[in-house]
Amino acid sequence: MSSVIVTRGLVKQFGRVRAVDGIDLDVGAGDVYGFLGANGSGKTTTVRMLLGLVLPTRGEVELLGQRMPRAGRRVLPRVGALVEGPAHHRHLSGAANLALLDAAGPGGRRRDRRRRIAEVLDQVGLGGVGRRPVGAYSLGMRQRLGLAGALMRRPELLVLDEPTNGLDPQGIAEVRELLLDLHRGGTTVFLSSHLLAEVEQLCSRVGVLDRGRMVLQDEMTRLTAPTGATVVETPEPGRVRAVLDGRVLAASGERVVVRGADPAEVNALLVGAGVPVTGLALQRPTLEEVVLAAAGTSADRVERA
Amino acid sequence: MSGHGRARRWAVLAALVAVLCALPAVVGALPADDADVPAADLRDAVLASAGVGFSGYAVSAGGLTLPVSDQLPAVADLLSDRVQLRVWWRGEDEQRVDVLTAAGETGVHTDPAGTWTWEYESATAERTRPAPLALPAPPDLVPAALGRRLLSEAADDELSRIGARRVAGRDALGLRLVPAAAASSVAHVDVWADAATGLPLAVEVVADGASAPALDTRFLDLDPSPPPAAVVGFTPPAGARVREGRDVGGLLDEAGSRLPAARLPDTLAGLPRRDLAGAPAAVGVYGGGVTLLVVAPVPHRLASALRAALAAAPDAVADERGTRVAAGPLGLVLVEPPGRGAHLLTGTVTLDALADAAAVLGRAPA
Amino acid sequence: MIGVELSKMFRRPRTWTTIAVLNALPVLVAVLLRLTDLAPRPGEGPPFLSAVLTNGALFPLAALAIVLPLFLPIAVAVVSGDAVAGEAQAGTLRYLLARPAGRTRLLVAKLVAVLAFVVVTVVVVAAVGFVTGTLLFDAQPVGGTSVSGTSLTQEELAGRTLLAIGYVAVSMLGVAAFGLFFSTLTDSPLAAALGALAVLVTSSLLFTLDAASPVAPYLPTRYWLAFVDLFRDPVLWRDVVRGLALQGVYVGVLLTAAWANFTTKDVTS
Repeated sequence: MSSVIVTRGLVKQFGRVRAVDGIDLDVGAGDVYGFLGANGSGKTTTVRMLLGLVLPTRGEVELLGQRMPRAGRRVLPRVGALVEGPAHHRHLSGAANLALLDAAGPGGRRRDRRRRIAEVLDQVGLGGVGRRPVGAYSLGMRQRLGLAGALMRRPELLVLDEPTNGLDPQGIAEVRELLLDLHRGGTTVFLSSHLLAEVEQLCSRVGVLDRGRMVLQDEMTRLTAPTGATVVETPEPGRVRAVLDGRVLAASGERVVVRGADPAEVNALLVGAGVPVTGLALQRPTLEEVVLAAAGTSADRVERA
Repeated sequence: MSGHGRARRWAVLAALVAVLCALPAVVGALPADDADVPAADLRDAVLASAGVGFSGYAVSAGGLTLPVSDQLPAVADLLSDRVQLRVWWRGEDEQRVDVLTAAGETGVHTDPAGTWTWEYESATAERTRPAPLALPAPPDLVPAALGRRLLSEAADDELSRIGARRVAGRDALGLRLVPAAAASSVAHVDVWADAATGLPLAVEVVADGASAPALDTRFLDLDPSPPPAAVVGFTPPAGARVREGRDVGGLLDEAGSRLPAARLPDTLAGLPRRDLAGAPAAVGVYGGGVTLLVVAPVPHRLASALRAALAAAPDAVADERGTRVAAGPLGLVLVEPPGRGAHLLTGTVTLDALADAAAVLGRAPA
Repeated sequence: MIGVELSKMFRRPRTWTTIAVLNALPVLVAVLLRLTDLAPRPGEGPPFLSAVLTNGALFPLAALAIVLPLFLPIAVAVVSGDAVAGEAQAGTLRYLLARPAGRTRLLVAKLVAVLAFVVVTVVVVAAVGFVTGTLLFDAQPVGGTSVSGTSLTQEELAGRTLLAIGYVAVSMLGVAAFGLFFSTLTDSPLAAALGALAVLVTSSLLFTLDAASPVAPYLPTRYWLAFVDLFRDPVLWRDVVRGLALQGVYVGVLLTAAWANFTTKDVTS
């Protein structure tokens, strides 16, 4: 599997503040990569370094196999990006904004520009918006238009920073469907977000950033792999402890965690002893638990020294 | 990596700015070729340049703030301001000098029969006939004309060489005139003459006790080839107001004729009176070279205005010998001997010499 | 890229509002002049204004002279200060650069767009001035009088007016370069425009100060009024040529500075 985004020892220093401190990203082709981190953890700075907007203090960035920012002119036309919210010229229509952006760089053919604009507007659900100026759009519409801008040239890689900001729940679901659809078509998606649920539902691979450092980077399936324990739900937790003496790892209310990666075996034992079992499942950690375990306190907190 | 690139780019800029800043200094420091020409020969070369035609652009900076700005505004501006001149010179009596202003110009076109003065902003063309005596006019500030005039009566022992410099991109040989007359208020006059043609390219007049020149006029551009006659000539354009100018001689004649003729002494302040062909008898000119004293009768109205202006001048010297004002080397005093009308004494003499002259004039028998 | 920037510039309502406001002043002056018939006294007022009463065809020049000292540079400073900082403030700069529009190319395109604005503005001011002048005053169909008092044919007058329009446009390039450079330093278009204006005010002030005469030949506003020299006869090229060269130097240096700064800058807006 070839890598689409690779960074090595990426460092960005703003004055005395080290916003990004030695990040080694590795995003493979075909991944939906969730880039998680609290506000101020350095996500946006990293995304800007990937796109050549911010120049690294140290370290390397490789995008689609080529060094950034040197190869920007060759690589960036194959990348679609949404960085820190959409931005448009308010007095122009959505289509005019897309046309101007498309004409501003290489790789946007003039001949089929109108067709491509109509397609992406349909794709993000803005097909009927007409000539209204962007200034009259709602926040959600602007977010969709930003997404449309990123999709204009059928990019191999989408770099999206908080793409569902400002969308209502239906909108979020639509965008999720759209991204999964693109992914099925072979597009690699790099999704930077602070919303765990969004990442959990979409991503195949996760990186977690905490105060400028990468604290975790792994496959989603591995992170949320079964722990080797079974969760039993029963109205009589006391009796479980009696039957499976020594195998009970934790108990709270009607939930008992039992060692043993085979729920059927646990069930057989309990049912054999006449303990009522109302629920039975393999124990998997949630992404939230994984992230909280890896990262420290919120970056917004300012502790007394 | 990025820090390195940034430093390199700013270094490119710094180098560019340094080169651009150094350029004027380098051009200004270009050495001038001096030639081994004795002072007297250089003076002769300057005086012989009267027939050289040329065109050019000159700037004159004057520090002669005379208290006559209400009476003679044009003269006051000419001598006290920075004046930009465009010059086309075909000869002493065929030339054109434009005084440029930001929004217009005053063109003085001289031909053998007189002078056209064109004022753009009032769209007025004024014709004056040649006169032996005239107020200072723009052509007098042209370095070539002024240099020749100032050197015209210079004695050999008043002259010395002062090296060479570049003026208007040409090699100019320096000539210093230190007037011998005791009454003179001029410390020295420096004339920088073109090595090739003898044309004075720059003239600096420095007053006694001053460090900066009271008058500094120099060419910034010079083309030493005669300009076409069509450029020099003048025909009043359609729609312009055309009028006949009054010449100073007529004015003085008039003033003199209305006053009892004052007999002027033969010497004033140690300077001998000289004859001026065609000048009214009422006007006396004394001295020679750059040390000159002029006595002229003044009409009554002008006299009272001048008196007020003199009294109000901040640097006027007032004592029992009268009220005198000096602007650079130029002194001015108004004498009013009882019953004989006012006379103006002015010239490049010291204030003391001016006071002596005024006293003599006041005593002179009617 | 240049086409994109031009399109942005001229599809923006503010551009046309600015040009309209810029034209209001000369038109107002023309109407007042027509109603009162009071020409400015010689040596006062903008160049050519007193001549307009006799020849309305000179009003384009008077109109340019009216807007040249203040209105035109303010407009150019605002538009050029907005060039990069405006995109930064609106957030569109990051999308342009990630598109990718090369930073140097973007800078050049921005300069060209500002230049186009200057040219269009100057031409519109001259055109409106011509219409106003010929409607309100007597226009002499046979040509006019040069500043030096010689007669100019209609063709000569038209040719020199075109040259003057071009010269005024070039004179604004220095302001545009200052605005553009400041525009790469800050994310606030207002700050960039004020910076460019501060330079202009300083330059105009130093120009009137005798103590500053050693630097006077290098002040960006030094040769602005030299377009009057085009109406002397023969034309006085000296200051015009120096003015062009000086603007060229300012544009070169400031564009290099803008390039050095912008191409190595972190875009965090």
